[in-house]
Amino acid sequence: MSVLEVTGLDVHYGLRRHRRQALAGASLTVEPGEIVGLIGETGSGKSTFARAVLGLVRPSAGRIVVDGEDVSGHRDRQWRALRRRGVLQYVFQDPLRSLDPDLTIADSLLEPLLLKGIPRVEAVERARGYLPRVRLDEELLPRLPGELSGGQRQRVAVARALITEPKLVILDEPVSALDAANRVQVLEILKDLRDTGIALVFISHDLGSVAGIADRVAVLYQGSVVEVGPARDVIAAPEHPYTKLLVGSAPTLRMAAAGRAEREALRALLNA
Amino acid sequence: MTALTEIPVETTVDPVLAVRDVRIRGQVDGREIVKGVSFTLAPGKVVGIVGESGSGKTMTCRAVLGILPPRFEVADGAIHVAGQDVSALSQAELTELRGSTISAVFQDPASYLNPSIPVGKQVAEVVKVKKGFGRRAARQRALELLAAVRLRDPELVYGQYAHELSGGMLQRVLIAAAIAADPRVLIADEATTALDVTVQAEILDLLADLRDDSGLALVVVSHDLAVVAQLCDEVLVMRDGEVVEQGPTSRVLYQPEHEYTRLLISEHEQYGLDRFLAREGS
Amino acid sequence: MVRRVLSLASGRISVVILAAIALLAIFGPLLAPQDPLATSSDTLAGVSGSHWLGTDYLGRDVFSRLLDGSRASVVGALEVALMALVVGAIPGILSVYLGRVFEWVTLRLADTLIALPFLLFAVAVTALLGNGITQAMFVTGALVSPLFYRVARAATLAVARSQYVEAALISGASLGWVIRRHVWVKVLPPIAVALAQTLGTGFIIVSSLSFLGIGVQPPAPTWGGLLASDLGYLSYQPWAPFAPALLIMATVWASNLLADAIRDVSGEAGRALFADRKTRQPVGGAV
Repeated sequence: MSVLEVTGLDVHYGLRRHRRQALAGASLTVEPGEIVGLIGETGSGKSTFARAVLGLVRPSAGRIVVDGEDVSGHRDRQWRALRRRGVLQYVFQDPLRSLDPDLTIADSLLEPLLLKGIPRVEAVERARGYLPRVRLDEELLPRLPGELSGGQRQRVAVARALITEPKLVILDEPVSALDAANRVQVLEILKDLRDTGIALVFISHDLGSVAGIADRVAVLYQGSVVEVGPARDVIAAPEHPYTKLLVGSAPTLRMAAAGRAEREALRALLNA
Repeated sequence: MTALTEIPVETTVDPVLAVRDVRIRGQVDGREIVKGVSFTLAPGKVVGIVGESGSGKTMTCRAVLGILPPRFEVADGAIHVAGQDVSALSQAELTELRGSTISAVFQDPASYLNPSIPVGKQVAEVVKVKKGFGRRAARQRALELLAAVRLRDPELVYGQYAHELSGGMLQRVLIAAAIAADPRVLIADEATTALDVTVQAEILDLLADLRDDSGLALVVVSHDLAVVAQLCDEVLVMRDGEVVEQGPTSRVLYQPEHEYTRLLISEHEQYGLDRFLAREGS
Repeated sequence: MVRRVLSLASGRISVVILAAIALLAIFGPLLAPQDPLATSSDTLAGVSGSHWLGTDYLGRDVFSRLLDGSRASVVGALEVALMALVVGAIPGILSVYLGRVFEWVTLRLADTLIALPFLLFAVAVTALLGNGITQAMFVTGALVSPLFYRVARAATLAVARSQYVEAALISGASLGWVIRRHVWVKVLPPIAVALAQTLGTGFIIVSSLSFLGIGVQPPAPTWGGLLASDLGYLSYQPWAPFAPALLIMATVWASNLLADAIRDVSGEAGRALFADRKTRQPVGGAV
């Protein structure tokens, strides 16, 4: 069974005259244990997609099924019940802002467990046991987020999302705020997770940053998914002109960027 | 033998920018935040500085521009812009130098524009001040500049406000303002970092065009080795204020000597597009 | 929280001073050596064995008046603060969460209260609800409540839009959970600071109202009232305002100090857990 099934998702913002469409029939299926890279640039609707799946915005059309549960028509109370089960988690881009500065690392880690209804003592044990998996030391527990480095904070945020043993985690540019060494470390941690059967949706504006970790890549353009496929195929042999433009624009070390004429032709094609 | 034939080329052209063993120190704690940076830049050439935040790359640029933040000073070394020693210049002379000889664009274009004045007018203002043009001539020149940075409809953009333009368009406007007084050196400090990849490619193309058309020398600063690799003839890799590796781009990319450079490269090879796009070289 | 406030020197000092003033408020009227209302021909007397702080222009013993007035003053100031908290801070927090109608109405009310002429409002309330200390405190509390409303609302807004609140919601947190775990800690310190400021203004307002015959009635003493009348006889007894002013200042200063202490420790809320293995870490690593 798919852990996430999104079909024909439409999301609108604003009312009447200000109404504008953020998602137009976006569809995506995520299987257990796979890492899906969701690529989209500014205005593609990638954040809206995540927010809709998390129940933070209400879609105007389409179907979202999370872990077998159709959530399309869920009300607040049903959403809360689903979230408390901890099957669905989210990792923000900026770890400093996604951890409460007044709560210790321990309290931040415990929050989703306590919400899930796990007794405090057991939750504390679990939090302690979880830290090695994200390569953090137990002595960080009584500290505040401000006392940790950016890389440590992001690993705490990852741990916080994983501690409820979710089936699906959505990560919004989880490594773009980190420096090279921490970026590699977080990516390695995420890669290790694949074996545990967790499905990850890795959202990014940059194809390059998910190329190395995603099993499949989905390209979001103007509110719909224009291309999905194994990462290697999408990157090495893109089909949609926008994907071609993305691949051709991404800076690479070996000067593989497409020629300028090619990119301009693609752009003309997209604007037509 | 090849080395011998190369050297005369380097020395016959006067560098527009020469940075020699520059060290920058915080006056409060006396800590050195830039520990000796040297490079020379000839017209039409591009030097890249790669490093993460805190590596000292931005401070180096600021020192070159003579705009170090308060309580930071160039403790040692020399900076020559078009043959002039920056440290010997008065504040007024430095202001004169900035814009007309050396200019810069930064990461967040919106914060460098006044939100309540049309962007074209702000470019025209730069032309008026730096070139001494009259109002009408300045407007004409501003329109030319907006066209030169490949904004599709310069007349329209001229009258628009910052909030009406996308990040890529704003960066083009700022580049237009930066090249308004025909500088010889342009510093692009993380100028494409906040932009979408497809827009970034366009801006990098634009910078390459400016270099080819007018012999503008570029200093491209980025945290991303790949961005620098696109454009630069020479690369400096900085970490914690130190230049850990420096050399021609292809040498740094293909025969990295420092462990940190190798980390940056391996990151691209393991986790970047390069994993699938080993078209040449490797 | 209490223990952490007490672990700071400023917290301890302020609590000691405030406790002393509370004792004064409770027992002060009983300790007054003379009748605070009894006049005598010995007017504007200096400090002596029978009149420790001299007498006022009607020959009343200032020391007794000061002790006797402490209850009305402190209770009055507390009432003002409580009133401001209930009609100011709580709607301020809720205005962020209870929907647009509540938000609009409370915002307009707060604006209206700021615009109201204070004396006119006080007179109108007295006319409507009758004269008395409770009514006076109601007026004063309503008057300072917009400050609390705005302070609480601003602090809540900043928290409500934060990612960590969103993260909590995504983990299934309810509104109550979010307010208890994330909002309250951030709203408390600015409110505590506003409270400390209000205590000071409270004394002055209570006395200026009693000057008008609203609230505490003239012969009955309050600190603010004493200060006001002493100021009128400055040329005869230049030292006289010192005693009530000192008490007011001590109260305001101590409550400010306490507010600071609360603010200082509130950054550490939640440290209690894992306290068994807690060795205070040096603060570092902040960018």
